[in-house]
Amino acid sequence: MEYIILAINAILVKNILLAQYLGNCPFMGVSKKMETATGMGMAVIFVITFATSITWFVHHYLLVLLKIEYLQTIVFILVIASLVQLIEMFLKKIVPALYKALGIFLPLITTNCAILGVAVLCINNEFNFLQSLFYALFSGVGFALALILFAGIRGRFEIAYIPKVLQDTAIALVTAGLMALAFYGFMGIDNSLQALMIK
Amino acid sequence: MREYIRMVAVLTAIAAVCGLLLAAVKKGTEKRIEEQILVNVQGPALNNVLASSTNDIIQDREEITVDQEIKIVFLGKKNGQIWAIAFEMTAMGYKGKIGVMVGFDLEKDRLTGIGILTHQETPGLGARVSEPIFTNNFKDRVISEIFKVKKDNGTIDAVSGATISSRAVCSAVEQSIVLYSAIKDQVVKKK
Amino acid sequence: MKKTIAHEFLKGFWEILPPFRLVLGLCPVLAVTTAVENGIGMGLSTTFVLFFSNVIISSIKKIIPKKVRIASYIIIIATFVVIVELVMKAYFFSISKQLGLFINLIVVNCIILGRAEAFASKNPIYLSAADGLGIGLGFTLSLILISTIREILGKGTFLGMQVMWNSYEPFAFMVSAPGAFVCLGLILALINLFPKK
Repeated sequence: MEYIILAINAILVKNILLAQYLGNCPFMGVSKKMETATGMGMAVIFVITFATSITWFVHHYLLVLLKIEYLQTIVFILVIASLVQLIEMFLKKIVPALYKALGIFLPLITTNCAILGVAVLCINNEFNFLQSLFYALFSGVGFALALILFAGIRGRFEIAYIPKVLQDTAIALVTAGLMALAFYGFMGIDNSLQALMIK
Repeated sequence: MREYIRMVAVLTAIAAVCGLLLAAVKKGTEKRIEEQILVNVQGPALNNVLASSTNDIIQDREEITVDQEIKIVFLGKKNGQIWAIAFEMTAMGYKGKIGVMVGFDLEKDRLTGIGILTHQETPGLGARVSEPIFTNNFKDRVISEIFKVKKDNGTIDAVSGATISSRAVCSAVEQSIVLYSAIKDQVVKKK
Repeated sequence: MKKTIAHEFLKGFWEILPPFRLVLGLCPVLAVTTAVENGIGMGLSTTFVLFFSNVIISSIKKIIPKKVRIASYIIIIATFVVIVELVMKAYFFSISKQLGLFINLIVVNCIILGRAEAFASKNPIYLSAADGLGIGLGFTLSLILISTIREILGKGTFLGMQVMWNSYEPFAFMVSAPGAFVCLGLILALINLFPKK
């Protein structure tokens, strides 16, 4: 039950893109086409889950023991960058089909702040390992969901009339705002569920 | 091969220089950061639980060793005399640790009050343990009382819908009473 | 076109003004602009990191092997981010608490890595310094612009001081997440009305 609430919270209520403002560069950048959005979404789910589980161990079994928590940012970003490289090499050799689908998105992911953001959030919120793992997974799912929905809406722009000044990013941002407003409607359902659970 | 060695050498050199630089900055800011955290996180709660003190509470803190663990104890003084102490105690709430600052009057053996320092409870529910309507439950109470929520046959009015968070605060208070009894003599001697 | 310090410095304020002309680094722009104070804090922190990483990267560009250049840039940028993090905590505690996570995230702000790769790794130190400072300050001004609009409309205050009339009902939408997107989109459209040069 705890994980269901965590899932609803991460996917709908506090959607990483629309409510926490993390990972907006790819949100604007790769949402023009459905296929690229799907590819990016899947790649993020994959990397975010892996990265967060590793950074959790690095934090608790390396940084804390050596008392160098202040180096968190630098260590985490290096872990994420090398992990992305490793995944890229691994996929190229072992699963070429998957590499073909996700390959071009992987290098972009290093600078996707959603990955580093979730890794740091899990530490800040003092999640245990399982909670971190699921939180990362669900955040990734939330990211993919928002990105794919958004790409669906953006596809419509091609046949719509849009004033010149609003074209491209400007209208995309306004649309994202309206989408965020729709997701706002989920606000509070995690609290009510929790209240129900206690009773 | 030569290129490879050069790659590793350059990266190591950059990392080493950056590491040294950071260690230096860390050393330079460490003391101030510690103090800033005390002033900004503990400060407001301390001013509340040790209200009528005339000294700088954050400056007058002592480290006391209990069971090989170092505990920071804040001293409240009136006319140069320590009249009350306060320290932080944590307990597991619904979503994470709740940090509670508990103040004790040394002469009367009473709680002066409590203040919630850090928590991750649900806004609108568990988070309401930090509101005065709940924390006032603990104001000016004799330490021999039993601090439990009414559901557990105690005297504390729990925040409605947030029994777990309220229980956590109670348990932090009870733990701190135990600790208070253990360290009181050490503190009094220092007077 | 001849590259001059003045040109490299000034282009950050209009020609490639981030985040409007150069649509990068959106996350902090959306997240921290609910109050002008935070906007200034974020902008100056980013400028600091951008300036120093540009200078350092430009000065050691010849000794960094091509294959590990991105890794080296990341280490250098992250170092300055940690410095900012520590200094902010020590001297501007309340702002650092407000910005929270987004200070760590300066490290993945695409503007910084983008400038390192596109500019500092190819140009001499003095131009890179001008480029970093110009773009950083341009970014700061953008943040101030957005946060001023959002704070005045959303809270009726400017830098925490009441500026709207007393009965003004705060337009809370502006300080919420959806408001951030819409506000940024509309400002972007407004800026698109004017030509680049």
